[in-house]
Amino acid sequence: MSTQPKPFDSTRQAALLLLPTVVVLVAFLYYPGLETFRLSLYKTLFLGQQTTWAGLGNFAELATSTAYRHSFLVTILFAVVVVAGTLAASLAVSYMLFTVDVGSSTYLVAAIWPYALPPAVAAILLNFLLHPNLGIFTHYLEAFTPFTLDWFNDGPQAFAVVAIVAIWKQLGYNIIFLVAALNNVPETLTESAKLDGVGHLRLLSKVYLPLIAPTMVFLVVMNTIYSFFSTFPLVDLMTSGGPGDATNFLIFKLYRDAFEFSSLGLASAESVVLFVLVAVLMYVQIRVTEGYAHYGA
Amino acid sequence: MATETNQQTARSTRFRDRLPDHVPMHLGLLAAIALMSAPLVLAVVMSTQTTTEVYQVTNVGIGSQGLRNYAAALTEYNFATYMLNSLVMSVVVVVGKVALSLLAALALVYYELPYERAIFMFILLTLLLPVPVRIVPLFQLMADLGWTNTLLALTGPYVASATAVFLFRQHFMSIPDSLVETARVDGVGPLRFLFGVLVPMSRGMIAGVCVITFIYAWNQFLWPLIAVTDKSSQVVQVGIRYIQGSAQAGLTQWGLIMAAAVLTLLPPLFVLLALHRPLLETFAIQQK
Repeated sequence: MSTQPKPFDSTRQAALLLLPTVVVLVAFLYYPGLETFRLSLYKTLFLGQQTTWAGLGNFAELATSTAYRHSFLVTILFAVVVVAGTLAASLAVSYMLFTVDVGSSTYLVAAIWPYALPPAVAAILLNFLLHPNLGIFTHYLEAFTPFTLDWFNDGPQAFAVVAIVAIWKQLGYNIIFLVAALNNVPETLTESAKLDGVGHLRLLSKVYLPLIAPTMVFLVVMNTIYSFFSTFPLVDLMTSGGPGDATNFLIFKLYRDAFEFSSLGLASAESVVLFVLVAVLMYVQIRVTEGYAHYGA
Repeated sequence: MATETNQQTARSTRFRDRLPDHVPMHLGLLAAIALMSAPLVLAVVMSTQTTTEVYQVTNVGIGSQGLRNYAAALTEYNFATYMLNSLVMSVVVVVGKVALSLLAALALVYYELPYERAIFMFILLTLLLPVPVRIVPLFQLMADLGWTNTLLALTGPYVASATAVFLFRQHFMSIPDSLVETARVDGVGPLRFLFGVLVPMSRGMIAGVCVITFIYAWNQFLWPLIAVTDKSSQVVQVGIRYIQGSAQAGLTQWGLIMAAAVLTLLPPLFVLLALHRPLLETFAIQQK
């Protein structure tokens, strides 16, 4: 930060400049955010017509509900699969991008385009291409492997298909950050390893990965939040939470409880759970990043 | 026999030595990009096919529908309206977010401001409140304000942003003091300072925020699904949901659905391709 006096000193003007942002944040973020906490303490009856005080009743209901606990578990499992799959695939692509020096900018654009891909489009493309009867991917998968694709009826298969689409859509975002991180590694640190003829896998795991760890942590957090929230269109358009409850993730259950069953109090309690998850993740990220900043600087 | 195999291995080793190390990398990259792009390429091809052609699963030739599926999606299935609604929503969110965040960052960086740190934290903390965390009250608020089914409901909650304020603040703080000093000596007002000095120096950053915001707004699905029930005000992402449901009378018209999907992808893809440079630079700053 600069130490010299700032050019303007009218507090009134500054307040006016901040006003639009603050008004929007208060009206559409803080107010509904706090209101979520208040509503989570009420039960809604008669399709939202009447509310009664419930204390922590909604949270108790969530904690004892088999359906909610199942939803929580598949959401965490989904996050683990999506985060690991996304990072592994985008690390491989990013490392190759980082290594080639001819045409790397063309490659980069060709590799990051899924960043622009709308999740709804990703869902509908694979609904068709992986369709059990009509999908061309299904056709060749079944022709060349012993698999039979039946993800409209098979829970684990549906989970896997949604995860693959989620990973595909998230590759672009991850590659953007990983390529930038790899390019920031000082060449002096890696030259000696290269001269020693260390193989690519060892070079990546022993030399580069530790150096880009802060970016990896950042991406773990962002991908986890992505897997919690941005996969709603995938579930909605591909599986509707099924078959069974195999893909009934927290965000989809929340949507249904709120807007199909009008259990607004219960749904608000589900929102509070999501808030806690996001808060913990952000906290972890800040702590780890700070740790690295102190260590590195 | 044995010597021949030895010779062969020797030759192949020599060949590998002569081969530049990055050829396998190029092949790997081409394979990865082909894999990532295959669904899109196939969708484009099959968007030109009739339903009969689509049902011949391995038929990957250009179909006999030409662009007729696109025409049908745009007219009969209302995608022209949905696309226009999405475009208006995204542009309003981009302009609103950039304008509001520039003003806020100007106040935070260039004003002697009491509680500056606290105000900045107040803005940053909203990162903890993504839409799903406040979705029920936000929906009720829109109903109370009478905003359901309007552009206001689609854009209002998105026009202020912690990320954009953070990015502009970072960028302003990196602008050399000497420039600020000149402006102060010349006695220019804050808005002339913003538009005459800061904005021209922040073109790349503003372009980057515009790309990120446009793609983010265009791709919204859950909030429009809830806030808009009237089809004529709906955005294109939810239009995808409608067409998947309505094109299923008898045989599902997958060619038509693929055309609709390609249409929905084109605007954000175009923006990304045109403006990938500022996007990459902006993300590089966000990471620091």
